[in-house]
Amino acid sequence: MTDISTRVPRAVSSPPGRRRRNGGRPRAGTIAAFLTPFFLPFLLFYVAPVGYALWQSLRVVRRTGGQWGTSYTTFGGFEQYAQVFQNAEFWASIGRIGLFGMVQVPVMLFIALIMALLLDTPLLRLKAFFRITAFMPYAVPGVIAAIMWSYLYSPQLSPVIDLFESFGWQPDFLGPGAVLWSAANVSTWLWTGYNMLIMYAALQAIPQELYEAAKLDGAGQWTIAWRVKVPIIAPAIVLTTVFSIIGTLQLYAEPAVLRQISSNISSTFTPNMLAYAVASGNNYQQAAAISVVIAVITFVLSFGFMRLTSKKAGL
Amino acid sequence: MSTTVTRTRLAAAAALSLALLAGCSSSADSDPASAGSCTPAKGKVTLQYWNTVPGMDKVVALWNKNNPDIRVQMKNISNDQYGTLGNALKAGKAPDLAQVGYDQLPSLRTQNAFVDASACSAATAAKSRFVPWTWSQTSFDGTGVFAFPQDTGPMALYIRSDIFKKYGLPIPKTWDEYAAAAKKLHKANPDVSMTFFDPNNAEWFNGLLWQNSAEMYSYSGDKWHVTVESDRSKQVAEYWQKLISDKLVRTDLAHGSTQMYAAYQKNQVASYVGASWGYSMFRDNLPQQAGKWSIVPMPTWGANGASGDWGGSTVAFMKGSRHLYESVKFNTWLNTDPKALALENKLGGLYPAANAGLRLPALSQGVAYYNNEKIFDVFASSSKKINTKFAWGPTQKTVNLALQDAMAKAAAGDGSLTDALSTAQAAALKSMKDQAIPATAGK
Amino acid sequence: MSNPSISRESRVSRTAVTALMCLLAVYFMLPVYFLIVAATKPQGDLASTNGLVFSHFNLIDNVRVLFTRSDGIFGRWAVNTVIYAVLGAAVGTLISALCGYALAKFPFRGREVLFSVVLGGVLVPTTALALPLFLLFSATGIVNTYLAVFLPSIVSPFGVYLARIFANAAVPQELIESARLDGASEFRTFFSVAFRLMTPALVTIFLFQFVAIWNNFFLPMVMLQKESLFPITLGLYQWNGQTARAPLLQESVITGSLVSIVPVIIVFILLQRFWRTGLTAGSLK
Repeated sequence: MTDISTRVPRAVSSPPGRRRRNGGRPRAGTIAAFLTPFFLPFLLFYVAPVGYALWQSLRVVRRTGGQWGTSYTTFGGFEQYAQVFQNAEFWASIGRIGLFGMVQVPVMLFIALIMALLLDTPLLRLKAFFRITAFMPYAVPGVIAAIMWSYLYSPQLSPVIDLFESFGWQPDFLGPGAVLWSAANVSTWLWTGYNMLIMYAALQAIPQELYEAAKLDGAGQWTIAWRVKVPIIAPAIVLTTVFSIIGTLQLYAEPAVLRQISSNISSTFTPNMLAYAVASGNNYQQAAAISVVIAVITFVLSFGFMRLTSKKAGL
Repeated sequence: MSTTVTRTRLAAAAALSLALLAGCSSSADSDPASAGSCTPAKGKVTLQYWNTVPGMDKVVALWNKNNPDIRVQMKNISNDQYGTLGNALKAGKAPDLAQVGYDQLPSLRTQNAFVDASACSAATAAKSRFVPWTWSQTSFDGTGVFAFPQDTGPMALYIRSDIFKKYGLPIPKTWDEYAAAAKKLHKANPDVSMTFFDPNNAEWFNGLLWQNSAEMYSYSGDKWHVTVESDRSKQVAEYWQKLISDKLVRTDLAHGSTQMYAAYQKNQVASYVGASWGYSMFRDNLPQQAGKWSIVPMPTWGANGASGDWGGSTVAFMKGSRHLYESVKFNTWLNTDPKALALENKLGGLYPAANAGLRLPALSQGVAYYNNEKIFDVFASSSKKINTKFAWGPTQKTVNLALQDAMAKAAAGDGSLTDALSTAQAAALKSMKDQAIPATAGK
Repeated sequence: MSNPSISRESRVSRTAVTALMCLLAVYFMLPVYFLIVAATKPQGDLASTNGLVFSHFNLIDNVRVLFTRSDGIFGRWAVNTVIYAVLGAAVGTLISALCGYALAKFPFRGREVLFSVVLGGVLVPTTALALPLFLLFSATGIVNTYLAVFLPSIVSPFGVYLARIFANAAVPQELIESARLDGASEFRTFFSVAFRLMTPALVTIFLFQFVAIWNNFFLPMVMLQKESLFPITLGLYQWNGQTARAPLLQESVITGSLVSIVPVIIVFILLQRFWRTGLTAGSLK
């Protein structure tokens, strides 16, 4: 938390105005009236479900009167968590998504960084065109993007496969080994432009004078890019990484769409799909425990990453 | 005190609502399904009946015309059958009667969604009017009457007579002969497969297990016995695994998909292991192949001449109904009256579960698409040979998903179908334990 | 750029750079181009003709089929999407602006704590909230209604975060002081002074939240069973799942995808400068 908040510009705290009514500051009621419209729904739709999930995850179902008897829930301690940790499907989905993230996130951010740096050099023309084409996928929701790509992956319809076939290669984008990377490609297509724009915006904010010294030292565009620009926009890169980690752990729509055309995506392919499958099997308590574990892993990874990078880069 | 009350309430709310996710009502604070009372109402009655059958409104209109005192209002819930039903149960607004698939009966009964209609003598007397296996599932082995059977999906083998003739393949009587024919066909032309195995279709595979009398569940005393993994189920799994490993069947076609029809269209697949309702699929989707298809009895497992069922539904008596007597009356007419059955068959394509239905004129004629063969005779005889001891589990949905995931892996070369049965067995036991449903492995 | 100091070397690298960017542009445009081509074809041509080459022009008919299928349900989905995403983002922007402005301009005890809570909210994976929310909502009976999707969608911690930064940057304290001197209430000050100054920033917040709702698939999927309440994404997902059994739906899925993304892409391109403002602030500069 501190890592972000310390970098947030402090509110301008003006000296208490002597000329103000009500002792110079807005009344508590007024402040509450500004804050409540946000914080009330925030409490109801953000905080309450978190608390509810925590509470549910500590419950277990019991039953009286044999198999047709009556069920009720009771406090079960960490039983649901113990089951989540023993669940091989859960670890398989975490492993899958871990592999996905470790490859897809760096690849995507690397492409985004290269594009941002190229857009920031005088070497490139048609900048607006390239910026818009890369950013365009951001307007496409994950479901529709996955539908579009699933047509390009499908052996019956894909012009891409036709193209490869004319070179004598018959790719199977939906095979057991390939389908994870086909999903990764959809994510990359969707989010590269967005990340590129964040980095590009950070680059644009660097004052030109900073480059002058480097130029005088005879440094070329590449040296300036790697030695000067990249370190300066490091916070933006950290931010994009954190958002990408959060996004990866939440993956649902894209694999769910690809599942409609490939039997190699199981019902428990990603942690979120597992949570949904468990919930739809009536086992809400365990689904809650899975949701909590996913949230904790997300938190640990994103904070851990920020900590690590802020120490290393001295940010 | 107040905190305890709140807690119990919350627990109840939680348990109730979790059921919605599966589209079922849970039962935290409800009584176990008790026998309803069977007193006729005084004056006019309106019944609510929810279903997903195309054209059912016409059937209901026919009833309403002749029975002004028992008016039936129907609602089509085909968009989300179990979700809609689950919401209604939770809100205490369930209809008097609702369509429920056979495989969902135990799950819903576990959650006390039904009322036992056996208080009405007319309900218990209906037993003899239905194909035996259907009654054993709706009455839970004679422990009550929770639903009336409506339609079934007795299985049979669809074959492309022309392809069989071309390659000199005999009509297989047993599964061994079917495998031999598959091998011969593959040898003669590797581009034609005997059939396909859809790893994402647990319902279909369950039908095959059923045919081999592989009883996946049973209940005795007050608990379930889980035998998803048994010698008989393994026999089926090993059989298909061998066909898959020898590349004699395709695994890349999803049932009912465009790709599946395309493969049949291109004469790449020679047969189809299906159910009664499949006859119209081929007729409507592959009109060019009229006259090329034949329907023969399922290959059997040696001397065991039993058949299997794939699909079908019941009309269940829902908890909360205040008009049990009238519900039984309408439900009896709906599912045993030849006029109603004929209309349901014509408009909704239902293959009846009632004995009377098997003798419908429409089901005694030859069908043009199938060379004017009397294909329904095959289904009728199949229907009567279906194992009556087969039962579905109380967490069938979860087990089906686990089975499908594991079968897809097996089809992709990771593990075998036998392993998939172990996975499903474990998933069954675990999901039942999670819901505190008493169960043990094995008989 | 005809500067003589540009050497041959940099001309080579310029060509290389342009080639690389062109390659990437092809990658980004390929699926959209495919979609445009496919949406103009009759169903029968989808599998039988090359996916990147136009064949019979059937777009008008495809659009007509799309909007008349199942009693015009697609139009309904489009209206729903506008309700969820446009109206939701508008309401969300307003409450974020109020809150962010207060957090920036009103000194009060606990302000930093509240702001930290909001920042924590930015990192909460929203899909983890969907299932517990479903249970809470089903207890109150608003599952399977517009509110079930609308209410959670209006909350955007990221919007508050941006609003606070923008309020600090765009609204000078002196203007607020003088408005107060004129006897204006705090709300009047906000709406007449601050709101106007923050408008470009608010457009940015609106766009971000619009995308978040437009993209959120898990929440409506969990909350809604009634087809008539679906947003476009859920509707197309459902159709896409049925194409295996009803192949004729394929053309409608394709046309529906195109029809729904084209207006959004156009608006995004027109409003480019707001993105860049927002992203610059968002990058914690």
